[in-house]
Amino acid sequence: MKLYYLDLLVEYIKNYMKTRLTYRADFWVEVVSDLLFQATNFIFILVIFMHTNSLGGWSQNEVVFVYGFFMVPFGVFSCFVNMWGFSERYIVKGEMDRILTRPAHNLFQIFLENVDPPALVGSFIGLIIMGISGSNLGLPFEWWTLPMIIVLTLSAVAIYTGIYTTLTSLSFYSDAPTGILPLMYNIQTYGRYPVTIYNRAIQVLLTWIIPFAFVGVYPAALFLHREEMQGMALLTPVVGAIFLGIGLLSWNYGVKKYKGAGS
Amino acid sequence: MNAIQVQDLRKTFKVQKNREGLKGAFADLFKREYSEVTAVKDISFSIPQGEICGYIGENGAGKSTTIKMLTGILVPTSGSLSVGGYIPYEEREKFVRNIGVVFGQRSQLWWDIGVIESFQLLRKVYRVPELDFKKRLDELVERLELQDLLNRPVRKLSLGQRMRCELVAALLHNPSILFLDEPTIGLDIVVKSEIRQFLKDMNREHGTTILLTTHDLQDIEALCSRVIMLDDGRIIYDGGLEDLKQRWGTGREVQFQFGAPTKLEQLMQWTEEMPVTWTSENDLGAKVWIPLELNVSDVLGRVVGQADITDIKIIETNTDDIVRSIYQSGSAEKPEEKILALKDEKEVIHV
Amino acid sequence: MSDQLKAAAASSSSGGSSADGPKETGWRLLLGAYFDFIRIRFLTMLAYRINYYSGILIYTLNIGVNYFTWKAIYGNGESLGGFTGAQMTTYVAVSWMARAFYFNNLDREISTDIRDGSIAIQFIRPYNYVLVKMMQGLGEGMFRFMMLMIPGMVIAILLFPVHLPTEPSAWAGFLVMLFFSFLISSQINIITGLSAFFVENNEGMMRMKRVVVDLFSGLIVPITLFPDWLSSILKVLPFQAITYLPGSVFTGRVHGVGIWNVLGIQVIWFVVLLIPIVWLYHASRQRLFVQGG
Repeated sequence: MKLYYLDLLVEYIKNYMKTRLTYRADFWVEVVSDLLFQATNFIFILVIFMHTNSLGGWSQNEVVFVYGFFMVPFGVFSCFVNMWGFSERYIVKGEMDRILTRPAHNLFQIFLENVDPPALVGSFIGLIIMGISGSNLGLPFEWWTLPMIIVLTLSAVAIYTGIYTTLTSLSFYSDAPTGILPLMYNIQTYGRYPVTIYNRAIQVLLTWIIPFAFVGVYPAALFLHREEMQGMALLTPVVGAIFLGIGLLSWNYGVKKYKGAGS
Repeated sequence: MNAIQVQDLRKTFKVQKNREGLKGAFADLFKREYSEVTAVKDISFSIPQGEICGYIGENGAGKSTTIKMLTGILVPTSGSLSVGGYIPYEEREKFVRNIGVVFGQRSQLWWDIGVIESFQLLRKVYRVPELDFKKRLDELVERLELQDLLNRPVRKLSLGQRMRCELVAALLHNPSILFLDEPTIGLDIVVKSEIRQFLKDMNREHGTTILLTTHDLQDIEALCSRVIMLDDGRIIYDGGLEDLKQRWGTGREVQFQFGAPTKLEQLMQWTEEMPVTWTSENDLGAKVWIPLELNVSDVLGRVVGQADITDIKIIETNTDDIVRSIYQSGSAEKPEEKILALKDEKEVIHV
Repeated sequence: MSDQLKAAAASSSSGGSSADGPKETGWRLLLGAYFDFIRIRFLTMLAYRINYYSGILIYTLNIGVNYFTWKAIYGNGESLGGFTGAQMTTYVAVSWMARAFYFNNLDREISTDIRDGSIAIQFIRPYNYVLVKMMQGLGEGMFRFMMLMIPGMVIAILLFPVHLPTEPSAWAGFLVMLFFSFLISSQINIITGLSAFFVENNEGMMRMKRVVVDLFSGLIVPITLFPDWLSSILKVLPFQAITYLPGSVFTGRVHGVGIWNVLGIQVIWFVVLLIPIVWLYHASRQRLFVQGG
């Protein structure tokens, strides 16, 4: 069963490559503009630290390290779970009909059809940023560092997937073209600053309601040896499992409410 | 054993009402109003294995909604259904491995890659063993003459070529039931008849059960031993095609273009003892309406030898016309009575 | 789209039965049609309930998060780049408020129209395509400003200590400058969108434009915080007229005659940016009708 889906994934990525070889310029345009979006926030950090040397008790290298970590799961998520335009393409144009008449889980098919490998470039750059700022900080490379990076990355991807799947499944009930997603996009970037600088309400929101703090600052704190957030960091897989569960449940429930397109 | 068994199937949609103007839009923001639309109203029918059944009706009659419930896309509001031994919406992923679906307006294939790549991908999706796949593909490719198309990307195929590839895509996993939604829409005559012949052979050789919706009466004539007609979410006819045409068919119309001016009286005289009706458009064009019991060729035979004809066009009644005529033909009769009458007939045919 | 046009056509034809001369009636009809584009876009935005409610929440959060981030940056309250802590938090709140109004996706809409070919139909209709897009952008901006930003701001003020000016004159000036922010930002969008006629893939351009506008207009970082060489370059580019200049007036950093200077800069950029638009518009028509797309 697992093998079946892995097999499909390989098959779809091969197909992606075949189509993309014909439009090679688009590939690089996508990579560069993806990085540009990321750069906005990086420049913000750099400019800020030209005028101050601590953000809520975090040094420039620490903030940059969190930023680097943030890019890793985000790249993986954007590559394998890409739900942009779901409502327009699958609901309004009725492509969901086709998906539902095929013998693989429908959500997984949608992920497969939208794989976006250029996004992984962001993850690599994130790792490099972590490496540089980590060595500036003199962070030790322990035996558990690499396994934890993998575990926490996967957990963060699960959180993203859960949140975006839940939001996207709303399009099964409502007329909304998924206009919330771009707005959410803004919110998630707030998880890469030390959440302790926000007031209580926002901290609770970013921790428990839309837990974007778990895709950036909390897990990164583990590697930074920030005692105050260690507990939170270790909670990341749990939060990931819970939110992924919510996402899948609301998706499966939503599919039952699918109305089809037009006549 | 029945391939498809449907009992009191109903589907209701909640439709949101939009109030008018700025005030209405603000009101909608706080309190939405909905109305319910029942697209399929408690229909029952069963289709035995190996049958080709036509599912017809006007747009909005509930055809697509039914097909979507039968294929597991939509969950019924009430009633029960079983297709190939499965309840479609409950075990969707297992169920769909036994069915093939072609939606005429929507492609199964990947737009940018070669047709063969799409087939390979579908092989993986449907978990067809390599050997079976090869054998099946060879058979289908030969039968539909696709050899030269296999490496072309789908976007470079003509509609007819694409539709033949769609059929292959839907049949690669050798489904026992095939659903076709308007499979011949927009195709030219040659491709249409090729596809019909192919479907017939499929049905004969593999015993594939086929349910198809169409607006083209010739599809039905060529393929279906049985017709289910839907109107406003209810079955108004379920039985043989001949009966349907005999009861409700209006006949055919033939249009003539003449090389030299031809008088209407002349035309009427040639077909004097036949129950046909002539109308003339101008000196060089005329139409004749021929009732069903008369052969078109008999009427043509009378005219062709004597007039200078440049063009002939035969216009068949399509299923929409038949549905319309069911209502128009006895306007005093209430539809309910008709449905009752038809229900009786169904008993006669299917018991 | 076609519904919008139909509706616009319907209401404009029903609205003009006055006894004026034919020319004047025509003008009035056309003007009515343009206003309808604003109204219809506004109504379209209103039609999506879930988007609307979540939108308010997210706008509130945006203001809140930016407020606290800057508070943390200030830490113990000295001045950065000429901004005091209080001025900075106001500046951030106002910048986001302005963005709600001036932000739109006209570039994306135009380039979609160009790529799927529907622009040809738009160009032969009896109105000016660019002006119609502008009107739709205005409808969208008004929606976001009135329906998302104002409720978001009210909630934000209740939750977080954001201080907004109280003098009516500051508000009046701000609204005028906000309108120019919208014009300039939309002009840049239109230029980016129309470039799809001449560039094979303008997706990259559109994304680049978005990054540049967010960064160089002073939305993310006020321009004075940039290194000197960069901020002196930015002072001769149009982007500062979108966020930084009106924000500076509203926070009280620029006052008196300075306000008129700021307004002057905005007007100059508005006029200057008209030149490439007119040129691109004519070149596009040329390309569409003479060379066949």
